[in-house]
Amino acid sequence: MGSRGLLLLKGVAPPSNYIFNYTRTRSSSWSSKTPIFRECSTTTATTSSLEPPDVPRLAETARISLSPHEVDEFAPKIRQVIDWFGQLQAVDLNSVDPAIRADNETENLRDDSPETFENREAMIAAIPSYEEPYIKVPKVLNKE
Amino acid sequence: MLSTLHHPPRSLSRFLPSKSKTRSFHTKPILSSSHPIIEQPHASSTSPPQSQILSIRHSLLSRHVTATQLAESYLTRLKLTEPQLNSFLHLSNNVLKEAQAIDEKIRRNEDVGPLAGVLVGVKDNICTVGMPSTAGSKVLENYCPPFDATAVKRVKELGGIVVGKTNLDEFGMGSTTEASAFQVTANPWDVSRVPGGSSGGSAAAVSARQCVVSLGSDTGGSVRQPASFCGVVGLKPTYGRVSRFGLMAYASSLDVIGCFGSSVADAGILLNAVSGHDRLDATSSKQEVPDFTSQFVSATLLESKPLKGLRVGIIRETLDNGVDTGVKSAILGAVSHLEELGCTLSEVSLPSFSLGLPAYYILASSESSSNLSRYDGVRYGNQVVADELNALYEDSRAKGFGSEVKMRILMGTYALSAGYYDAYYKRAQQVRTLIQKSFKAALDENDILISPAAPSAAYKIGEKKNDPLAMYAGDIMTVNVNLAGLPALVLPCGFVEGGPAGLPVGLQMIGAAFDEEKLLKVGHIFEQTLQDCRFVPPLVADGFAQ
Repeated sequence: MGSRGLLLLKGVAPPSNYIFNYTRTRSSSWSSKTPIFRECSTTTATTSSLEPPDVPRLAETARISLSPHEVDEFAPKIRQVIDWFGQLQAVDLNSVDPAIRADNETENLRDDSPETFENREAMIAAIPSYEEPYIKVPKVLNKE
Repeated sequence: MLSTLHHPPRSLSRFLPSKSKTRSFHTKPILSSSHPIIEQPHASSTSPPQSQILSIRHSLLSRHVTATQLAESYLTRLKLTEPQLNSFLHLSNNVLKEAQAIDEKIRRNEDVGPLAGVLVGVKDNICTVGMPSTAGSKVLENYCPPFDATAVKRVKELGGIVVGKTNLDEFGMGSTTEASAFQVTANPWDVSRVPGGSSGGSAAAVSARQCVVSLGSDTGGSVRQPASFCGVVGLKPTYGRVSRFGLMAYASSLDVIGCFGSSVADAGILLNAVSGHDRLDATSSKQEVPDFTSQFVSATLLESKPLKGLRVGIIRETLDNGVDTGVKSAILGAVSHLEELGCTLSEVSLPSFSLGLPAYYILASSESSSNLSRYDGVRYGNQVVADELNALYEDSRAKGFGSEVKMRILMGTYALSAGYYDAYYKRAQQVRTLIQKSFKAALDENDILISPAAPSAAYKIGEKKNDPLAMYAGDIMTVNVNLAGLPALVLPCGFVEGGPAGLPVGLQMIGAAFDEEKLLKVGHIFEQTLQDCRFVPPLVADGFAQ
């Protein structure tokens, strides 16, 4: 892993409720400030009790077939990133509401009235396997 | 348009590499006088960029040049530089025809829109009817959408000419365009380096003057970081400001369509064209759109200290270890420049800043795993023939998606699996709340916040390919802005060593929600008064020399 990447995998500080405001003086030097990014070791202290990713099973869930070579190639990288995700476990997030998205606007829905799309020919032309009026797919096998 | 400042910023010279102080351009014209172009790249090295859109409009309406001549000159330059740059995945066959139509209208003294004759590049994850839109992926190779994205529709309605579709990292996942299924785009400042990503093609095209302006998309920095790497202006609007209808979704709660231009004014004019509520996008805002174009004052009309009273907060966490010394110098140079303009600068700290990166990647991979489930080979795109439905899905997707996309889908699938949702996705959403609150608090005390757009300038092609976390680390400056849904403007502010003529560095300015107007005003003044910096890559300035 690149050294730059290491520096940013920091142990997390609990969120503080105030911000620092300094007036910058001409003689202040940026490099003398205490780095916010603390070093952490690659063996993460934030190991969760969750099962590590089972790549073949995930691939089945995501409907992507992976070759054995791809499984070998992806598994360590995925594991590394998921471990890195784990640092969120250490943060105190009680009483914090989850934010679905950025905006705070009220519902912005249009009327549920059907309209005919005017370029149906182009849509149909894009279908790989079409037998009017059906989009053709192979049979579904019932898996147990 | 030289600045009227009485005390030129002496401190800038400390931060700029000395060879940039006098950029020497060849004095012979690039093109003969029968191919007029509006911008003269070999102009004085101290003159700030003009709005190309306004120059074009003026020239067309005064009959000084025709839209056809203009289009031809851009296309000539595009074709000569494309073999080195590979910015475009598809080129329109109708450019000259559309230009001729505009000329006809002008001849008949009919009104033409504000973008008449302006060549616009469009990122290939934005749908354009009649032209392929592949999102940089084999799974959509040759897919031609049956509709235009709303942003594209608005550009066309105002007279803009879509010149082509630009290259990107597949589905917007990446920071270099190396994850495109088709080609890697080169940085016009140094063709051995990346242009940034995922909107690398759009940034490179504007940087190399292959088109006037371009549209990109920004989910975690994909407009701002390439703008920084390519020395152009990149504008990320507030989430909801521009309709996402027709933008192939990567992470629906984070995606926005953004604008590239060679000047702040051009980016602002393009934003004006595409902004506004759209009934086809339920997340598009009904907030009123001010006229972003009404405030671009000429620098000669500015009083000294034109930004007096503007409170600027420097985000402390973005100037720490892990940021290149050269980038820090360039940003500190920008800080001096802002002070000269009258700003009050202070340092702000954003708690939870560093949590934004893992939170972003959790949210983005999770949402992308859901959004990309539609690419299954059934209704559109490439299909792998199979005996059984699941095999059809699995093989079409396996063959169609690149490695980075597959990995992110798998990570997202994991994070959303039963039992893991609370641990990852929900926690990431909670971190998003913290980040929104910390930005809001900082923006209550400051008009704008500033930071670098990236921890380094453009790096070499191939350098970060095999290390996902190293590549993700480069997004630290930009992702938090997407999590908070705020607008941000990146504009070139200096150079670092590297390449034949130095590599540009961008300054990021972040504003409060829906406050693009302030960002554009400050950015424009900053740009027009910046001394001794001209952001035209040697590829363009030196003519077509190899």
